[in-house]
Amino acid sequence: MSPKNKKFLVGGIAIALVIAVLAPFMASSNPDGLDSTMEKVMQNPETEPAFESPLPDYTIPALGEENPLGGVIALILGTLLILGIAYGLSIIIKKKDGKKNT
Amino acid sequence: MHVPDGLILFPQYLVYYAIAIVVIFFALRWARNSLDERAIPLLAVLSAGIFAIQAMNIPIPFGTSGHMMGAALIAIIFASPWAAVLVLSIVLILQAVIFGDGGITALGVNIFNMGVVGGFVGFYVYKGLKNFNGKAAVFTAAWASIFFAAIAAAFELAMAGAFPLDLGLFYMGGFHAVIGLIEGAITVVVVVALQNVRPDLFSLEQKPSEVASK
Repeated sequence: MSPKNKKFLVGGIAIALVIAVLAPFMASSNPDGLDSTMEKVMQNPETEPAFESPLPDYTIPALGEENPLGGVIALILGTLLILGIAYGLSIIIKKKDGKKNT
Repeated sequence: MHVPDGLILFPQYLVYYAIAIVVIFFALRWARNSLDERAIPLLAVLSAGIFAIQAMNIPIPFGTSGHMMGAALIAIIFASPWAAVLVLSIVLILQAVIFGDGGITALGVNIFNMGVVGGFVGFYVYKGLKNFNGKAAVFTAAWASIFFAAIAAAFELAMAGAFPLDLGLFYMGGFHAVIGLIEGAITVVVVVALQNVRPDLFSLEQKPSEVASK
């Protein structure tokens, strides 16, 4: 990877992580557009998830639902996971193609 | 905007799953054929950034909040709506599976609304307007991407019998017309910043193919 690309990558990751760290403290807890609509138009807007996700609503259950530290860890984990998946998937897709062409 | 479980019931959600599988196939094909290898770090970083910023709900009036969706941003920067389908699919699958954000049964419908509707509306509104004014085109495309994704959701939830059509359209459209202003503003900021930092990867003035051929 060129130094320019590396610098860009590091800078971009840093910005994403700063957002991930700030979000649990700064994000509005108001319902979002869809949740608000559900409250307005449905008699019973409560829904149950079809399966229990490991980190529900960006919290770490072991740390308690209201602990912002859990939110920070969950979001950092998610951000790095997405970074790795998007990068890895793209590389794999391109590599296959490269073999075909050469 | 993330549809939870329990609103679109079996077997209707299977239709959206089928659509999602088809569009993910096309998105992967786009990546194989058209994704510039030098742009892979950009795709990865933007995906991570979109995941993070989707957790940053910004309050809007009426006791509601909204967050950035990011489909128009990706479609504009990579000059393809399929890029948006790819990135939003990755983000939405992880959100549903690990964080319970958006139902697992609603994954197909969420990929359709945010990836396909968001990506295609964002891409074609930008394409149609960019010759008038680049920044205005980006803003309008981003606003339209989330507004029409919300309209699509209102129709789907009405078909599923969860929402009445008229009120669903009224509230979903109304809230997201305001949330779209956030989408538009952030998208313009990121696009302009990217143009300044990496004009080799993306430029408002040129098509990526022209940049690449330099």
